[in-house]
Amino acid sequence: MSAPATPSRSSRAGRGLSNGTFGFLLTLPALALFAAVIMYPLIGALTTSLYKQSLVIPGRSFVGLDNFRFVLENQFWPVLKNTLVFAGGATALAVALGLALALALNSRLPGRGFLRGAFIFPWVIPGVVVSFVWLWIFNANYGILNGLLLRLHLVDHPVVWLGQPGTAMWAVIVAKVWASFPWIMVMLLAGLQTVPGTLHEAAALDGAGTLQRFWHVTLPHLRGILGVVVLLELIWNFQHFDTIYVMTNGGPAGATTTFAVAVYNTAFKGFNLGRAGALGALWMVLLLVLVVVYVRLSERGEKR
Amino acid sequence: MTLQETRFAADAGAPVRPVPPRTNKPRRRFPAGAAVTVAVLGIFVFAPVYWVLVTALTPTNAVYEFPPRFWPRHVTLQHFTALVHTPVLLHYLINSLVVSIATAVLTVLVSAYTGYSFAKFRYRGRRSLMYLILASQMFPQAVLLITLYLVFSQVGLLNSYLALILSFTTFTLPLCVWMMKGFFDTIPDELIEAAKVDGAGQFAIIHRILLPVSLPGLVATGLFAFIRGWNDFIFALTLGGPDHLTLPPGLANHYIGEFETGWPELMAASLVVSLPVVIGFAVLQRYLVAGLTSGAVKG
Repeated sequence: MSAPATPSRSSRAGRGLSNGTFGFLLTLPALALFAAVIMYPLIGALTTSLYKQSLVIPGRSFVGLDNFRFVLENQFWPVLKNTLVFAGGATALAVALGLALALALNSRLPGRGFLRGAFIFPWVIPGVVVSFVWLWIFNANYGILNGLLLRLHLVDHPVVWLGQPGTAMWAVIVAKVWASFPWIMVMLLAGLQTVPGTLHEAAALDGAGTLQRFWHVTLPHLRGILGVVVLLELIWNFQHFDTIYVMTNGGPAGATTTFAVAVYNTAFKGFNLGRAGALGALWMVLLLVLVVVYVRLSERGEKR
Repeated sequence: MTLQETRFAADAGAPVRPVPPRTNKPRRRFPAGAAVTVAVLGIFVFAPVYWVLVTALTPTNAVYEFPPRFWPRHVTLQHFTALVHTPVLLHYLINSLVVSIATAVLTVLVSAYTGYSFAKFRYRGRRSLMYLILASQMFPQAVLLITLYLVFSQVGLLNSYLALILSFTTFTLPLCVWMMKGFFDTIPDELIEAAKVDGAGQFAIIHRILLPVSLPGLVATGLFAFIRGWNDFIFALTLGGPDHLTLPPGLANHYIGEFETGWPELMAASLVVSLPVVIGFAVLQRYLVAGLTSGAVKG
């Protein structure tokens, strides 16, 4: 699955090479690094959730589940709602647009190779730049969006897009969709190219319309890759940080505070590591469900 | 899966073959629906890019006119030259280069061996390790940061290049291990067996045969790792301190503040920061899908 898109025929490592011990030893440098910078910090952060601990004052004291109680009573539910709205909205929109574009570029459109390369642009640029671009577009005083809407007489006075709870959430979703649907297009286009053209011709000869062919020929071929794409997109959006942090910093009035922003601000603005750890632990439990499904899917791909 | 379904679908279609062909030949027509879709989504994708370009090329006083002009009357490069004359930005640029390159080199070196091991050896726990590393890509960075920050401050690494490099490996390591495994998967076992018959030792096989053969893959992986490091925001923002900030958090701190932002300069800077990444991806076209599945860029 994560392997490059090379034909699996060339991999004849069915039984692998002898001397598994040597093979294991080869992983040790990476495993040491992995343990130090990923596993230890993860476990450390989760343990922090049981302590009263500050970022700036040394020392900590065990408080049991106090942090969890506090977080569940004060932060968790609104943050969960925001995260679900953001991740659900951004994923659904990006997948819809990505699928539409992939289907369009899979037709006999001239210059589609070039278009595929050009469309990927928003996905590769740094997330911070995405935020800058959309901050400027949504700018209340000089932004192009307000300028356009005023000129078309769709609004009477400039809208403060990022200053109102309702519109702020949509603004960050739009920015995120802009940056991520090209990736979905590339993945689905690769999937579409595995659909044999003869199949479409046969179906067309049998009198199947465009929609029928999409449903009965294209979609079954796309199912595997579509599942992976939706899941990955959901997982990433569920923990997305850059765009939201730079565009709204979770505001206005906490309306765009997702888990990533809440944990970050609790730890590094509020200096309360215990509560950040507790919120992070709850967040990870939810993420874990998605990740387990993803790993299962990948394993199935790997065994093939 | 794909192959079986193909055959099955083809069989299902076969018996009804002798239906007379319809008058419309869908594959010959100009795909009008497709063209409209591409045009609409093209506007969504490229209008913002156009607007960034226009803003970056417009003289400052004209940028702050409202309602804005959709095309510039005068064009200037003053905002780009202003960037060059801002020493702190050059400082961030150097930091970005140092950290991204060091991260890429370190991770590629370490994960080449692991990728080879995962691809070509079989031992107990291999699969669990592989998927643990894959899953670790999805551990939230904000959570990892809590301990990373504490540990780095205890050992005095906070605000150093090393802190950034080590924290960047949290996302480049899984990416590189999995990409590398993919490349080594494609190398036939026979090549390695033949070398063994010729009396080559295990390390000689890796260093004299495997790595040279997969050099393009190594370079591609390194480039993807470089891009991920270049694009990082949260780790550099938190662990870099004022002296080791990279460009993304550096630009955010420098331009997004209490005061009215210097929009045209920020747009010019945005174009400049994006340039290496865009070039990198143009070079990596061949590996695009492989890179994207391994998490070469994260949403």
